Amino acid sequence: MAHHYVVTAQKPTGVNACVTGNFTSPTDLNLILAKNTRIEIQLVTPEGLRPLREIGLYGRVAVMKFFRPPCQKKDLLFIITNKYNVMILECKGEGENLEIITKAHGNVEDKIGRPSENGIIAVIDPEARVIGLRLYDGLFKIIPLDKDNCELKASSIRMEELEVHDLDFLHGCANPTIILIHQDQNGRHMKTHEISLKDKEFVKMPWKQDNIETEAMIVIPVPEPLCGAIIIGQESILYHDGNSFVAVAPAVIKQSTIVCYAKVDTQGSRYLLGDMAGHLFMLLIEKEEKIDGTYTVKDPKVELLGEISIPESITYLDNGVLFIGSRLGDSQLIKLNKIPDENGSYVSVMESFMNLAPITDMVVVDLEKQGQDQVITCSGAFKEGSLRIIRNGIGIQEHASIDLPGIKGIWALNINKENHFDNTLVMSFVGHTRVLTLNGEEVEETEIPGFLSDQQTFYCSNVGLNEIIQVTSVLARLISLKSKQLISEWRPPSGKTISVVACNNSQVLCAAGCELYYLEITNEELVQKGFATLEYEVACLDISPLSDDQDKVEFAAIGLWTDISARILRLPSLEEVNREFFGGEIIPRSILMAAFDGKCYLLCALGDGSMFYFSLNKTTGQLTDKKKVTIGTQPTVLKTFKTHYTMNVFACSDQPTVIYSSNQKLLFSNVNLKEVNNMCSLNAEAYPDSLAIASDSAVTIGTMDEIQKLHIRTVPLGETPRRIAYQESTQTFGVATMRIDQQESVGTSPIRPSASTQVQSTSSSGSSSGFAQSVNKPVGVGVAATGQHEYGLEVEVHNLLVIDQHTFEVLHAHQLLQSEYALSLTSTKLGDDPVTYYVVGTAFVNPDESEPKQGRIVILQFQDGKLTQVAEKDTKGACYSLVSFNGKLVASINSTVRLFEWTAEKELRLECSHFNNIIALYTKSKGDFILVGDLMRSIALLQHKVY
Amino acid sequence: MNDLITKSVAEFLKGLPSYDENNFARFHTDSNSRNSMKRPSLYLSTKDHPSEQIIVTEKTNILLRYLHHQWDKKSAMKKRDHLSLETNDESGCRKRPRIDL
Repeated sequence: MAHHYVVTAQKPTGVNACVTGNFTSPTDLNLILAKNTRIEIQLVTPEGLRPLREIGLYGRVAVMKFFRPPCQKKDLLFIITNKYNVMILECKGEGENLEIITKAHGNVEDKIGRPSENGIIAVIDPEARVIGLRLYDGLFKIIPLDKDNCELKASSIRMEELEVHDLDFLHGCANPTIILIHQDQNGRHMKTHEISLKDKEFVKMPWKQDNIETEAMIVIPVPEPLCGAIIIGQESILYHDGNSFVAVAPAVIKQSTIVCYAKVDTQGSRYLLGDMAGHLFMLLIEKEEKIDGTYTVKDPKVELLGEISIPESITYLDNGVLFIGSRLGDSQLIKLNKIPDENGSYVSVMESFMNLAPITDMVVVDLEKQGQDQVITCSGAFKEGSLRIIRNGIGIQEHASIDLPGIKGIWALNINKENHFDNTLVMSFVGHTRVLTLNGEEVEETEIPGFLSDQQTFYCSNVGLNEIIQVTSVLARLISLKSKQLISEWRPPSGKTISVVACNNSQVLCAAGCELYYLEITNEELVQKGFATLEYEVACLDISPLSDDQDKVEFAAIGLWTDISARILRLPSLEEVNREFFGGEIIPRSILMAAFDGKCYLLCALGDGSMFYFSLNKTTGQLTDKKKVTIGTQPTVLKTFKTHYTMNVFACSDQPTVIYSSNQKLLFSNVNLKEVNNMCSLNAEAYPDSLAIASDSAVTIGTMDEIQKLHIRTVPLGETPRRIAYQESTQTFGVATMRIDQQESVGTSPIRPSASTQVQSTSSSGSSSGFAQSVNKPVGVGVAATGQHEYGLEVEVHNLLVIDQHTFEVLHAHQLLQSEYALSLTSTKLGDDPVTYYVVGTAFVNPDESEPKQGRIVILQFQDGKLTQVAEKDTKGACYSLVSFNGKLVASINSTVRLFEWTAEKELRLECSHFNNIIALYTKSKGDFILVGDLMRSIALLQHKVY
Repeated sequence: MNDLITKSVAEFLKGLPSYDENNFARFHTDSNSRNSMKRPSLYLSTKDHPSEQIIVTEKTNILLRYLHHQWDKKSAMKKRDHLSLETNDESGCRKRPRIDL
């Protein structure tokens, strides 16, 4: 029985809700984020947001609210999940010992009741007397917050208003009182209900207002002293205090629909509003105190502050900084500025938080043909729409790059030792060595006194107290940084050429053919302390210390030619302790001893890109647990480096890899670089905690992402991607997208620039081809339906984009017909035709029809930078999915699954059909089998038999 | 006109609330580009904290609850009527005299 091991590579990133309060301590200001099944606790600090804890829930957060019981100094967190589980959480302890205490929990689901169409509403009385829930139509559930009772009883109250759009608790009421917006056949109205907690009933209706705006959707209760509530509509904003109201219709809010708000002042005079187009507004309620102590309220004022990610939830943090929680795009940390920037915006983005959601489709492609698959997703929606390229591995953020071909070795040095930063890079080439000094971010060529520049350096580093060592093919030199001159020199007594060398702070190991020399650096002098002649030539060697405090190492590791073995030798005697044969004929090219998590390993990379590794006993030198991995296909160089205070190994090859340890196991992670010949750690003042990486043509200075992370790249589209397909033959992606246009008196125009409006090469099903003209367009769809009165109406425009797989540049946009939606997309060859086509399945959407009655299957070819329509087939319904099937095409169209063949005349011809579905949404094929996923009837397996 | 708007928005943004004026004062985009990558450590409770309170849903049908409620109200009212009668009637007779004859 096969078992599958499932692990989350990327935790949820879309933000459902965000709240600010004092959670981890009475003085800590915390931002709490709800990301689907996860809660993140962040702390507001002078440096920005600091993540504290992440908590997993067994449920998806529907609503999350802070509240503070009377006389308490900290806030409590109330959460209700989509399955009606409720909890009240408290945070205790501090630092590493934070404990999340579940103060109360339970389930508030009812056995009967119709779940409300506009979702769960949960509100908490400002004086924390009761929690109110609207879960089912016509019912309002209350949970009185009784401190002394061990059982909190949730009771339902019948609410005669069936279609409630929003509700909340009013401030400054003797008894808990709710205000709600509801709809009946006459329009939308506002009502209040006073709750008797004893009788569990609505007892009074303090005030109401009939016939407010027909699209009113948000109620904002105003704190004391004003009290009352603000009603946000599609076009108007109304403030009502129970006796009288003021209303305004600011032109700026009409463009889109306001979806969320955040209170700015505790007194409730300013509010932030966010709309579906990503506009951020500020609403101001100004009051004037009258002589009798009551207030009059002036007209509410609204100003557009700027553009943000399409918000799901907004919260004010501190000092003009807000958090924008987004479900459709990247969440943001935003600063409000008093002075507008050059674009007239009062907001600036301080930080952006990557979000992949919502992923509507994806493909897995080995883009670089390196055997490493990448996932390309259709992510986000509307202006936040994007493609995301996700690869497993580690990203290098490039900070600087110098074009220098032919680097053989690279080392970072600290010359002059003024501080602990590296300030020099030594690079060796065939026949010479160059020295670069790092002056801030600038790099210039320099010379080190006493340093040989006319030879290739084999090794170079800071050693001893204040010296540097340079080893070339001829000799080893010790240079004093104090006196700036050569102080000691060593040559192989036999006069042979040095072939390989390894060094640490006080020891040097040199090999010249079969001769092995061991030197020590003592009292500013290189002293030969050991010599041995081996059976075969030395291919690689290492004397890396296995801990930071170790000055001298006891063992050396060497790899030999001819017998293809690794050996452990004791120092200084160079007697052999252990040997391991690798077998085969591939020479070991790089050997390294390294300690991870307190465990020692010997790594040995061979010339074919494979690597053996062993556990190394630090005291006996014994090698155990031999294992082999394949890293690349070329000779690999192993180098140690430090990031975030941990030791890791970089395997420089045609598939650069970082080797690190997790839970006492060695793990291998790809690096997003093409090819690395050599590298070294670099901790320079301008480039702290960095790496210098040498490729064939350049040296790059960069920092490394956190290890064990997905590497994600964003390609913004500015419109909603729906479907993606990869076409290897043209090296392109096909992406079906949707953008919103605005109806004008003649035709439509895009609301904002996006991928399909900015591309040079375009075509459309309506004009470029003769095929579309012959389509029998469904009645009521198309130009005829558009009248003058629909001016300003939002219209969906669907396109097929062709995107270059290397540059992700949009090469072509093919616009579908009016009211025609792209539902499915595939890239396939058909029949004996050698051409690979993009195939799009569509539906004509008419709001009056419960289900689409017409659609098309469009066959397109991408050639010479242009997309042309080759064929099309009308379908009697929506083409929900398309899949290639043994040179034919399977399409699911409404309730049917149909098989089409491709004729010599380049036409689709129906071969057979299968009817037994409600709506066949998904199809997959393998061999003769077709798997169909139905809207209601689970999945069905079909077999195609040719008689 | 534009100046007017700018002025009015500036007025809007004056005196935004401050909890601790140091918050975000030392914010640097560079130093933070890494922070944003850092995920918070996962909280796994190793101690068992029994919940102080359990939230339960009232099982009674709301119509029945309403009827019970009405019944209780009515019977309470009746009782009060009786009581008031008893105290008012000084004769001590428990029966009301027939008055419709």
